[in-house]
Amino acid sequence: MLAAAGASLALGAVKLPIAEVLEILLGKGGEGPNHQIVETLRLPRTVEALIVGAALGTAGAVLQGALANPLASPDVIGVTGGAGFGAILILIAFPASIALVPAAALFFGLLAAALVFGFAWSGRNRGSTGKIILAGIAMLSLFTAATTGLLASFPERAPSALFFIAGGLTNAGWEGLRYTWPYFLAGGLIAIFLIRPLDRLALGDDVAASLGSRPQLIRLAAGFSAALLAAAAAAVAGLLGFLGLVVPHVVRMAGGTSSQAFVIPASAVGGAALLAAADTLARTVRAPIELPVGPFMVILGVPVFLWLLRKAV
Amino acid sequence: MAAAGEMLLEARGVEVTIDGIQILRGGDLDLRAGELVAIVGPNGAGKSTLVRAVSGLHRPSAGAVSWSGRELAKMRGRELAKVRAFVPQRMPVPAGVTVQEAVTIGRSALLRPLGRMTGADRAGVDAALARAGVSHFADRALTTLSGGELQRVQIAIGLAQEAPVLIADEPTSQLDLGAAIDVAGLLRKLADEGLGALVVVHDLALAAAVADRVVVVHEGRTEATGLPNEVLTPGRLSRIWGADARLTAEHGRTALHVAWLGPTA
Repeated sequence: MLAAAGASLALGAVKLPIAEVLEILLGKGGEGPNHQIVETLRLPRTVEALIVGAALGTAGAVLQGALANPLASPDVIGVTGGAGFGAILILIAFPASIALVPAAALFFGLLAAALVFGFAWSGRNRGSTGKIILAGIAMLSLFTAATTGLLASFPERAPSALFFIAGGLTNAGWEGLRYTWPYFLAGGLIAIFLIRPLDRLALGDDVAASLGSRPQLIRLAAGFSAALLAAAAAAVAGLLGFLGLVVPHVVRMAGGTSSQAFVIPASAVGGAALLAAADTLARTVRAPIELPVGPFMVILGVPVFLWLLRKAV
Repeated sequence: MAAAGEMLLEARGVEVTIDGIQILRGGDLDLRAGELVAIVGPNGAGKSTLVRAVSGLHRPSAGAVSWSGRELAKMRGRELAKVRAFVPQRMPVPAGVTVQEAVTIGRSALLRPLGRMTGADRAGVDAALARAGVSHFADRALTTLSGGELQRVQIAIGLAQEAPVLIADEPTSQLDLGAAIDVAGLLRKLADEGLGALVVVHDLALAAAVADRVVVVHEGRTEATGLPNEVLTPGRLSRIWGADARLTAEHGRTALHVAWLGPTA
């Protein structure tokens, strides 16, 4: 992660030696164009990449643990679908209010998750894994259909939405994090408290209950944490769903254990490193043109994932 | 460990309704330290529901349950984890978790929410592994265990809680004869060491051999409680299980003589 962060700070349309980057970060080296690049462009972007990557890795790990399902990711509880709809709604229907895109992504992401959990916690067998996943898939379909409908209705404005759907970081300075940091912080803190309850849940609802936990409450808290993290991540960097799905698997396969005390922090670090590395690559391969990081990360991540999958028992 | 013979659990008139259907209409049972009580009854009689209700896994709709004099309804999860361990019939087997890690998770019942494991906790995990006889494969992954080994590990997870009562729901039902003997012997040994053991059992001959007392559950009620040979009479086997059968016990051997193909002369 440190290497990825270092590369992210040093590389770009203008390449800087890492020593100079360090000097600038430590407040030495005076003023100058390189100083400007690092302080106002690269540092915020690198921090964004690390935070968003960590958030998505954590969200995926928490959900896969809570739902005992290897396919679980922020997509499954509707967050990604809702966030995508919120952002596209602004970009397509209210292009003049483009500044509202992160807020709309956050709002609709959390709304979708709230609907999923509202339905999953009603009626018989409330709070069961199957009910959460089915409600989530239904909500994902609904919001995806609404998004597609919007795009089809305004085809001339669709290109502006593409960058958000692909997912990518921007050079907007600290703007993205200014309003979202409380969500990242709250989601991350809940995830830390969930480490031990999720380990218990891995042994089944009955064992978790025997140990004094409440399985449905654990799943609800995990869904809340993941919704906060994934919605905030989508508000900052668009739809990067792949990261949340794959990073926890890579971490488990590489680490050889499913203990959450390892998987959750390692997913945060792994997600941060992957996104920072992918973002650096995305803005250096065709510099000065910047490509969206989403597709790049998939291209970078899938071979590693498949290689590990082959090795895994 | 509780003093021998101390009353640990008392349940009277326990009722449970799930999704509008009354499963349990009047469950009664007692459990003392150092005692192994077997719960028997036909399929669907409410045996599992009764032990889940007294364990706090299902909320009773009526009745009184008390753990060492404390009311179940007023106890929180962490308190409950200190008075009883519940061992399900078969827990899910997650990939990438070793026996040692699973038993360590069991120990976490005694830790504060973000508290760390101390040396005493690690010693407690080792003791639980040893008491359940699983220390020699503590490093193996759960996914590589046989049914009997897994059941012993589940018991070890419960023992790591260091609760005075262990409740096991059909621990031997899916095991072959040798593994069932192994697990039954382990539960008997734990009771002899002072644990209160409440065990749901299908095999009546096994129940008669290992249990101090038998509780017969039928149609959601406790139908009888007492010594195995006093309770499992031919009349009751006929009325409740619809079986023409007779239980015999001598020299530590028990047998259920069943007319499998119906009454004979």
